[in-house]
Order: sequence, then C-alpha cells, then structure tokens
Amino acid sequence: MKRLTHLPTLKIDTSKKISVYYRSKTHTGWYGDTIATLLYADGIRVFGRSLKYHRPRGLYSLDGECSNTMMAVDGRPNVRAETTMAADGMHIAAQNVQGTSEKPVESTPEKDWMGFMDHLSWAMPAGFYYRIFHKPEKLWPIAVSRIRKAAGVGVLTSGYTVKGRYDEIYPATDVCVVGGGPAGMEAALSAADKGLRVILMESRPWLGGFYDYRTSLDADGVPLYRKANAMAERIAGYPNIRVFKNAPVVGVYGNSMVTAFQRGGRDRPFEQRYIEIQTRSIVVAAGCIERPLLFENNERPGVMQMGCAHRLARTWGILPGRRAVFSIGHDLGLEAAIDLADLGMKVVHVADVREDGQDQRLLDELKKRDIPFSRGWTAIKAGGKRNIEKVTIGTVNGMRRREFSCDTLAASAGLTPVTGPLATAGAKLEYHHLTGFFLPVKLPDNVYAAGRLLGLNDPASVEASGRLNGLRAAAACGVRVDSELKAAEAETSVLPGPVRNSKMVTAPVKNQKMFICFDEDTTVKNVDQAMDRGFDVPELIKRFTAAGTGPGQGGVPGHNLPLYVAQRGDSPDVDPRPITVRPPLTPVLLATYAGRNHDMHKRTPVHESQSASDGRMDRAGVWLRARYFSDDRRSRREIENVRGNVGVLDASTLGKFRIFGNDALKALQRVYIGDMNRVREHRMTYAAMCNDDGCLIDDGVIVKQAENDYYFTTSTGRSGATIEWIRYHTRYENLDFHMVNLTDAFGVINLAGPNSRNVLQKIADVDISNEAFPFMGYREFTINDIIPVRAMRLGFVGELSYELHVPSSYMQAVWDLLEKAGKSFKIKKFGLEAQNTLRLEKCHVIIGSESEQRTTLCDLGLGFLWCKSKPEANTVGSVALRQTENQSGRLKLVGFKMKNGLERPPKDGSPIVDSRIRGYVCTARFSFTLNEPIGMALVEDSYAKPGSVFGIYENGCKGRLIRAEVVKTPFYDPTGERMKS
Amino acid sequence: MSRTITCPVCGRRNGYEFRFGGEDKGPRPEEEGMSPEKWFEYTHLNDCKAGIRKEWWFHRDGCGVWFTIFRDTASNREVVRPPERELEAVP
Amino acid sequence: MAHKTKRLWKYQPLKSSYDAVIIGGGLHGLATAYFLAKKHGLSNVAVIEKRYIGFGGAGRNTAIVRANQRTQENLPLYREALQLWPVLTKELDFNLMFHNCGNLNLFHSEAAMKAARLNTASGQFHGIKSHLIDAEECKRMVPALDISDRPRYPILGAMYHPPGGIVRHDAVVWGLAKGASKHGAHIHQGTEVTGIEVYKGKVAGVHTDKGKIKTPRVLNAAGAYSADISSRLLGAKLPISVLTIQAMVTQPLKPLLNHVVSSGAYHCYANQTLKGEIATGAHMDPWPNYTNETTAHYIKHQAEALTEFLPCLAGVKFMRIWGGLADMTPDMAPIIDGNEPVEGYYIDCGWGYFGFKSSTVTGKYMARYMAEGRCPEILKPFALSRFKEHRLMGETAALVNYTPDN
Repeated sequence: MKRLTHLPTLKIDTSKKISVYYRSKTHTGWYGDTIATLLYADGIRVFGRSLKYHRPRGLYSLDGECSNTMMAVDGRPNVRAETTMAADGMHIAAQNVQGTSEKPVESTPEKDWMGFMDHLSWAMPAGFYYRIFHKPEKLWPIAVSRIRKAAGVGVLTSGYTVKGRYDEIYPATDVCVVGGGPAGMEAALSAADKGLRVILMESRPWLGGFYDYRTSLDADGVPLYRKANAMAERIAGYPNIRVFKNAPVVGVYGNSMVTAFQRGGRDRPFEQRYIEIQTRSIVVAAGCIERPLLFENNERPGVMQMGCAHRLARTWGILPGRRAVFSIGHDLGLEAAIDLADLGMKVVHVADVREDGQDQRLLDELKKRDIPFSRGWTAIKAGGKRNIEKVTIGTVNGMRRREFSCDTLAASAGLTPVTGPLATAGAKLEYHHLTGFFLPVKLPDNVYAAGRLLGLNDPASVEASGRLNGLRAAAACGVRVDSELKAAEAETSVLPGPVRNSKMVTAPVKNQKMFICFDEDTTVKNVDQAMDRGFDVPELIKRFTAAGTGPGQGGVPGHNLPLYVAQRGDSPDVDPRPITVRPPLTPVLLATYAGRNHDMHKRTPVHESQSASDGRMDRAGVWLRARYFSDDRRSRREIENVRGNVGVLDASTLGKFRIFGNDALKALQRVYIGDMNRVREHRMTYAAMCNDDGCLIDDGVIVKQAENDYYFTTSTGRSGATIEWIRYHTRYENLDFHMVNLTDAFGVINLAGPNSRNVLQKIADVDISNEAFPFMGYREFTINDIIPVRAMRLGFVGELSYELHVPSSYMQAVWDLLEKAGKSFKIKKFGLEAQNTLRLEKCHVIIGSESEQRTTLCDLGLGFLWCKSKPEANTVGSVALRQTENQSGRLKLVGFKMKNGLERPPKDGSPIVDSRIRGYVCTARFSFTLNEPIGMALVEDSYAKPGSVFGIYENGCKGRLIRAEVVKTPFYDPTGERMKS
Repeated sequence: MSRTITCPVCGRRNGYEFRFGGEDKGPRPEEEGMSPEKWFEYTHLNDCKAGIRKEWWFHRDGCGVWFTIFRDTASNREVVRPPERELEAVP
Repeated sequence: MAHKTKRLWKYQPLKSSYDAVIIGGGLHGLATAYFLAKKHGLSNVAVIEKRYIGFGGAGRNTAIVRANQRTQENLPLYREALQLWPVLTKELDFNLMFHNCGNLNLFHSEAAMKAARLNTASGQFHGIKSHLIDAEECKRMVPALDISDRPRYPILGAMYHPPGGIVRHDAVVWGLAKGASKHGAHIHQGTEVTGIEVYKGKVAGVHTDKGKIKTPRVLNAAGAYSADISSRLLGAKLPISVLTIQAMVTQPLKPLLNHVVSSGAYHCYANQTLKGEIATGAHMDPWPNYTNETTAHYIKHQAEALTEFLPCLAGVKFMRIWGGLADMTPDMAPIIDGNEPVEGYYIDCGWGYFGFKSSTVTGKYMARYMAEGRCPEILKPFALSRFKEHRLMGETAALVNYTPDN
C-alpha cells in the first residue's frame, strides 16, 4: 500500500526501514510504526481470532483497549500490537487461530477451521457451562480438558525466558500529572511555574493527546497539532518537569502514589521499567477514549473507531481503506470524515446518532465535499466475512435502512472518559446526565481532575481546565496561588463547559451478534440472558457473562455495560452505576513488575571464608549460614570433632542488644519470665520470653554490665522484633530506657569441645582457666593486645565451650587466629546441622523446632525459668502460665529412643498416633555419640512420662507404625560435667 | 505511599515502614487476681469497629517508637483526632 | 438445546417472622440455609445480605480447595468438604466446575519439609491422599518450575495432594442460592441487619433496614463483618483481626499449569483457572481495615516471587488485582459456636482465607447445629473458649504475626 508521506503530523521516520516476520513473510514498514500499523499498512486485516466463537478480529482502536490485535511476538503471548513499536527482526504470530501452536500451516487468521464455532453460539448462552457438562458426571473430566484447551489467548511455553533488562525507578515529586494531552501539559506548566517539581506521564510515545493528529484550527487559527508541538517544546525547556513518554499509568494509590511502567527497547537502556512515584498531589488529565457502538457484527475487521481511522492516516500515513462509512456520535467523527476525505478516501456516508448539537462549521464542510450526512442514523449491521464489504445504516428508531458497500466503517457511539486513575485513587464517580459520563463527584484530597475527562470539548476550555488544576495541585503543595487561582477560575467560568454526548447504546437490532465485550465474545443477548436469571447488578453480570474480565478489562465494555443494564433494568429511574476499575489500568508484564528483583539477605562477617571452605550456605531467616562443611548430610565428622576435640561455629546471626537507663531493669522484668533482679555482673543468666499465651517466643542469655545496663542475646529469628517487643509491652508507662541493636556490630564465634580452652588460651591475653573463667562466666578481654572480646562460657552443644562476641570488623581476624591456634589440635569448622544434633543430644530446645504456637514454657519443660514471685512486674506470659500450669491434655516435650532395636531415627515431623494423633516428632537424629537414634517429640501429656511407648506414623508407612519409648533427658552428659569442666 | 502513617518523630511516612500494634485497650491490667475471662478480653478480644478508632503503631523502619493514631478502618486512612463528641464513641 | 430462562433464585418479600435468620449472603450463610431447608425441614429461613450475594469473600477468593491441613481437628472437615463438590453439583443441578487438578505445595527448606511431612502423614492417617515428591518429580508435573539452584529459595520437593483442585467460586454461590431458594429459603439482598433483639437471654428477633423480623435463631455468618456485628449488636467481642488479602490474575493463556502450585517461602500460590488466567495471591497487609484496597507494593511482590520459581511467567501480564477481607483469628482456625452469649445466637466466622474450601461442609453441620441445638462433634473443636484456655488450635505451627501480641 502506498503511504502518505507528506503529512506534517506523521510520527514515522520514512528514512528508516523496519522489517518483521509474520506468517513466514517479511513485512516492511518504517521506524515509528507499531506492529499493528506496520502490518495494516502491508494489507493485513485479520489479526487474530476471538476467544469463544473464533470470529475474525482486526484493528479496532490504536491504544490497546481490547484483545483484537494481541499477538505473539518472539514467543511472548498477548503483546499489544497497537502499542508495541515494531522492531527489526521481530517474529510475529497471530493468536487463538486453531493450529497456530501445533499445526502452524493448517489454519490462518483469515481461514480458521474453528470458525464454525460462530454458528454454535445458540448453544452457548451466558453461563451455559454451569448448566451442562456435569450430566452425566463422567462427562465432566473430559469437558474440563476441552474447556481448558479452548480457553485462554496466547501460548506461553514453560521454557520461555524474557530477554533484556527490566528496570525500576522510584522518583519523588511534588505534582504528578497523568496524561500528556493539552490539559495535562497546561497543568504541568502551571505547577512548574510555581517552582515545584512536576512529573508528567503520557502513555503514548509523544505528548499531544487529542491534538497531535489534528489539523483543525483553534480559536487563534493555529492548527492543533502545531499547538501540541509548541506546548511540548515549552515543557522540554523546564528543568523541573520530568516527562515519561510511552509510560502508561497503571495505578493511582490514594493521593500520594502513582505507579506506571515505561516501554523502552530500541534506543533505551531497558526493555521496560517499573516506575513508582511518590507525590504530594496529583492531576488526572487522562482524556477520553471512544465508547463502542453496538450493532450487528460491530467487531468485524474493517470496523474501527473514528479516532483509529483518523490517526492511522494522520500519524502513520495509512489510509484505512478505499471506501468508508462513518457512524458516529461526536464531532470528532465529523472532523475525521472530512479530513480522511481530503486525504483521499471515499467517504460514502456519514451517519450521526445525534439529532442535533453538531458543529455547524463541520456540517458545512461535509456539504462542501458532497458527503451525504444523516442525523439520527446509526450503523445497524456490518456485512462481509473476513473484512466488511457492506454496511447497513438506519434510523435509531429502526424505521428506515440503507445499505452501502464499503471496506471501512468508522464507528463509535461517542466518547468515554478515562477515569480509571481517579477510580483507583478512591474518587467517587456518579452518572452525569448531561455528558452521559461517570464523573467524579468526590475526589480524594490533593487529587484533581482536568480536561476532556470532565466532559469538556472546546480546546480553550480543556487547556484552561489544565491550568486551573495545575494551580490547585500547586496549592495543595503549600504554594500560595490565591490570586492566580481566582483568575484561572474566572477564565474557565466564561469558557464552554461540559458538552452533551450521545447516550445511545445499541442500534435497533434484536437477537443478533452485537458484542458488548470483544475479549470474551459477550453479546448484548448474553447480558439479557444473565438479567433474566436474576443478575441485576453490573458486577454480577460481569461475573456471569465474563464481560469485561478479559485481557482488555473494561476498555470496551466499561461504559456500555452499566448503561445497558440501567436501560434494560426493572427500575428505569435508577442511574447507571459504574463498574469497578482495578489496577493495573494497563496490563503489565510480570517481568516489569519484578524489575531487578534484588535478592536481599544478610551475610555474616566471616561469610566469605565459610563458603570458601566448602560451607554449604543455607538461608536462615534473613541470613545465609553454613549448614554443612562436607557432603555428609549427617555431619558425622563435624560432630565427632566437637565431642572429642574442638570445633568452631559462626554464630554471628544471634541477636545482641544493650539495654540501659533508669528503668532498664523494670523493662526486662516485664518481658523476661525469670527474675531479672538476679542477673549479675561477670555471670551469664539463661532467660526466656513468653507471649501472653505463655508460649515461649525467645531465649538467650543476659549479663549485667553496670547498674541498669545489660547486654543480652536473642535467637536469630527474633532479633528483628526485640526492640519492638520490649517497647510494646512497656508502651503505656513511659519508662526511661534505651536499647541498641548490636546484632550487626558483633560477630559471634562458638568455640566448642574439650580442647577449646587450650586453643583459646593461646590467643587470649588473660587467664581463662576454669577457676578464672568458670561455666556461665562472662569476661571481657583482648586478643593480640588489641581486639576486644566479650566471652561467655555457655554450653549449647554440651561441651566446654566459649561464645566470643567480637566486633564485626575483627571477626575474620579472630576466626583466623583461632584456626591457626587450633591447627595443632585439628580444629574443624562445624555447621548448623552438626550443632542441631549436638544440642539434640543435650535436649536443648530450638524455638520453632521443638516449640510451636500451642506450647507454653512449661510444656517444654522450661518451667524452672519462670519466677512466680514477681507479680508486681506484670510479666508478659505469667498470667497464661499460671492458668495453664496444671492443665491436662497439653502437648509436652519429651525425649525418646527407638524400640525393637530400630537403628534409624524417625523422620522429623512424623505424627505420633494411637487411635488418633497424639503429637509429632520434632527432631530426631542418629546420635554418633550414643550410637543410637534419639529424638524429641511433642506429645499429649498421657504419653509424656518416661517409659511410655508410642507409635510413630511416618509418611508412606501405610499404617505400619514404628515404636519409640519416652526416656529421661538429656541423652548426653546429664549432670553437665563436660560443660562445666 | 498509598497509605501513610504520621510518626510523631519522623512525620508522615510510607505505611510499610510501620507495624500495626492493635486497638488501644489501655494499660496492662494488674496480674494479681486476674480471671481467665478478663485476661482473654485484654489479650485477644477486639472491637473490630468499622469506623474511627484509636490504635497503636510502631515505626519499625524508622525511629522505633510506639505511638497512637486515629484511623478510620472503613477507609483505611489515618484521620486527625476526631472532635470530642465523636471521640466518645471511639473506644 | 432450548434454555428456558428462569431466575436462579426468587424474589420474596421480607416476612415478619422466620424460623431462622442468617446474616450474610456469602457461602457459609447460603450453604447453611440450603442444608437447613433441604435436610432439616427448616425452610422458613431468611438469608439477609447487605449488598448482593457473593459480594464478599465468596466472590473474591481464588477458589482453591484442598484437605492437606495440619491438625486432626481440621482434616476431617476439609476431607468431607472435598467429597461434597461432586455431590452438590448433582444435588443442585448446577455445575460447580470442580477441577480436580491436585495441589503441589513446594518446600524450600528442611524445616518446611518437616512441616510437609507432618501434614502429609497426618492426612494419610486420616485416609487423605497426599505424598511427598522430589524436585525432579515437581518438574515433571509442572515443567514451568525452575528446580535449579538459581532461585532465592531452591525447590527441594513438594507435598502433592491429588484430591484437591479448584472450584468455580461464583458457581457455588449461585448454585447454593438456587438450591436454597428452591427449598423455600428466602434471600434478601440489599438488606442490612441493624440489630439483634434479645429477650430473657434468648434471641427474639432481628432488625433490618427493611423491617423487623421475629426469630428464635440467628446465625452470624457475615464473614469479615462478623466481629463488628457481634461486637456492635450484641456486645460480644471476638478475637478477630480483619485484614485485606489480595489476589490477581494474568491475562488468559493456553494450558500451562496443570496443578495448583504454592510456596510458603515465597508467600505465593498460583493456579490456572479454567479460563486460562494464572490466579495468584496469598499476601496480607497486617492493617485491620474494611476496604478492599489493593496495594502497589503487593502486585510487585507477587511478580517478584512468581518469576523466581516459575520464570516463564515473566512473559505474561497481570491484568487485574483485587482485594477481599479475611477475618483472622490468633490460630488461623475458625470460631464456630452457638448459644453464646445468648440462646439462639450462632456464629460461624474467623475463617480467614479458608472460608471458601470449608463453606459447604460447615453449612451442612451448622444447619444441624441450629436445627438440633447441639453442636455436632466435628465442629466442637472450634469453640471460642479455646482461646480463653490458651489452647490454640495449632493449624499453623509458627506464631502468626499480624497482631503485635505474639
């Protein structure tokens, strides 16, 4: 096709060719072509097939409101051909054409063998699937697989990977303007003139809105497209206006956040990027799209919106066809007809649903060109199989009809405002009788609406509305603009206000295929059927007929559905109610939402050396920690080395805190279940926190540093919530204390095993003999004269061991010194799995492993930590502990060994059963130290006494239980000699 | 910043910086003589009022302070302290 | 095929007295009404719905059904619930579209594997099919999964639960409404309950904005509004927090996921609806509220999570996100009780985000409870008193973290 290349409104660069592949042919267009315009210019009319009836579908709008022109591009399904720029070498395929995926040659969009489905529509009334397929029952599973195959648009292969870079940015601004048309640009300029930071969002690749393709003149005789260019140039001169083009807004969240995405590719360093804007005020000037006209075959290729026909020619230099009929309801349609006629298209007839209200100048121009015009007429039917060949128009009352042969029908019932950004922001929309629009009656604070979406049409009014609301948005940011606001208000008050729009919904045809929703093949008849069944709310009709739930969401049916429902409803006096609009306002690729998807985690100060020495790093909450240092999943050598020699573990993830101040002790008394009065200097106290159900939530050790100054540790998982917790439980009392989270400031080394003293003594600057530094002792000393260490003698793994708290920056140095000092002792690293078995042998509890939501401190056998004689402290958990202390039927923590000589431990998590479930195995391991399997379990109290035997029901055991006996704990070194020695 | 909370120290900030801390139920009751019913009420029972109420928030990713605000659960927005007359209805 | 068009449920004037009044035209309310009318001869029943039936959680959930819970209190209930879908499809003569595709619950850590073992074995003990599979088997079942070491949380395996799947949630609402109406129950949409009348310690009636109703029995099945209603109209507070839970769908695709896939580590589940959309969700913002607001934060989070373990989904688009309300209890198990604090007052709430899969079976037993006045065994564990006794249910092992008091 020969394209128009001389137009000043073109957005294509005819010096740069672009070639794409479609159906094993190369199609060539120009830089600036979208996939849709490139293919259209090359004669492609059928872009795909519809979901249910496999009807041919073509180019209908140019902003991607429906799935008609969704195509597969380079393996990615559902690409909007209308808004995706063509790029060299793209492989494009049509969708939902039977055979495209499996048998690519048999069907084409033009000739789809599933096209017969269109003749079966009588068998598929609204909700038909609820009433059939389940009789007989056996039919249903077969039907399911058929339904699944028939449903869905586009094929995604499970091996698909996105290419290119997906980015994300988080700009902040004072005023965010949604929509880069005349109103939006004026709003941006007037706010920017006040010195505010402005972000201007435009979904098309250029600014200009409904000006950019129009040559008609404004009041001063300037063509609108030139005006748009001039405004865009002015904007470019403002350093405080940041413009995002090709960036559809996907959601407005309250009055302070706008999210969007920007299409990149080609000459940008990203494919797409997610944009999340923090703003102080928002102006929505998103303009209007067209409200589809409902008539028979209203979605046949060749039928397109008036703006689509007009912009194809003006922006891309493509005449939509040779002979066109127009059936419109807005002056923009008249303008399009005149302009297209001037550009060389034969306009055979213009039907306007409006009886009156047309701009006389436009009517004169039609007359001048001998274009026949009829008022109160509308398209009734489009004829033609793959592309229209003829059109029947008639009077809106259905009395008279005429038929024309043509290849293009520009059809549109009128306009509909793009209020999605307002709706998602929380604006209240109501039906407006003059315009027939759903217009905002209440806007959230700091959110403003401007321009055409308010029903304005006159260019001067639209621009003034932009200026006014830009000023309002500036005022919302605290700028004094009183006099200018007054002037702007005065200006708008004398300009034309909102205009009346056509309210016709359906052409006077009955029982024919008029599609209210293209994506879901929902006809007006389907809506009738739903209403007959008792669905009277648009939202329910949506659910029953699927209208508006397809890829284009409400883009096509959003306005017509509520209008139609109100027209047909039982109470004609009830105003139509808008259907809910939900983000994303334009569908967004998951790749774009995911963005860079940074993996956020914490590493300990010795992470590098741990992983370098074969440590398998696993996630532990927010951290990465070494679980094993060999391929042995039971960590035998690591365990044996701790028991018989000396091992070293990185425990830096432990929570570490300082609390100090006049009321520090009081705060501790509130949250620790024990008596904190007894915490001393130079000596560690083991302490636990419960919640108000008595459930153990944290344990650790605490030492007094000075009067009302304490250092304490928490479990790894709990460290993030510790300050919050302590402050929460003292929040009413205004206590005077301060807390410092030292978790990241200190690394922790656990040096454990009978040789650990010998190793540590080699590098410690003080005497650490058992007398000088006994079990549960706390000492501060230096290593190598310079490294300050907080050392504790604790026994989590049940051996002589030291917990060294070392400033993080010195961690690796101390670690290396210990490894060097321990070399002659064959010191070995050990990981979490070894520690898990070691502490299991001592029956030391790990919270979350041996405890759960149902278990109290006493249930875990840790009741000795509870000080009952401090009621004045109002300790968190003590009331619940008292109330549950002697309750029967609770789960209790026990140690068990296997019966019948079984040499393997049961799997963790296996239920304990008799006639019902009585508990479950928490942790069970083979103990190399004891040479037998051991475990801990939570069981009902009736099984908790030593000597009780219970059955364990393992996954897949088919009822064959293994038996275990409750034994006294701990399993290893019950008197604690080894820890204390 | 779709939802914001005003911290008394840091000002109006993104809601995700904060942790919700429950309806304002008043100071912790005395432990002595506490009945299971009263304790249940204090620890677990909520008014679940659809409307304005006073509640606790914690500035977790900020200054680390617990404070109270008024929030309308029907709109999910923080509101300024309601007038005294309406306040009486706020538990 | 001729389709005689008939209303699915009838319009009825509000009567001045009913044998039972059910507050809430969601699934639990409609199911109870249906079973009261059909099984217990109590057809003089009214369902009072403030907006339209299925407005709340019933129409907002993602319709996953399963019986792979953790505790023996829950397992039998959900097992029976699964068995009911085909039965009800037949009984109601309405295709509820139970797609028995099975659920794949991925685990990414040893701790999660332990949890999966407990759930699987507990299910097996109760005659419910579930088994553990390794990562390779996961990949065979769902080829789109990335089982390499690349993801943040590599997949170690999964609990596979064949009896589960998805159901068309709206169909259940409409089917139950149709059935209840057929057996004589009245459904009053657009009607708000404004008061519960108590006389001498017994329920005497219900006040609505359309008039007063005399009744000896009231069921509070108002979903997220249950606690507000209970507290406001009867002064009976509940241990509930009402949170918004969000879900979203991608544009429809040809079949890609043949099973429901979920992952605790990623806080994410995904399944493909019969229409072809990938429905996904799971996250809740811990802010009690009564809006259905969605957040930018969450749709982004969901894309980040999904594209980690199902990387091909990076190539599809989210087209719709919505929110619904979940009435969360401290132990993620519901509150089902009766004749407390007044005779004739029943509650069925606190379902959080499990209300869909449990709806029909709970309705069945709730109807028996209301008809006979005695709590059926299967519902007894869910009594409110468990919280007072500090006997939480244990449906979740971990402490739930949407309230500050834990």
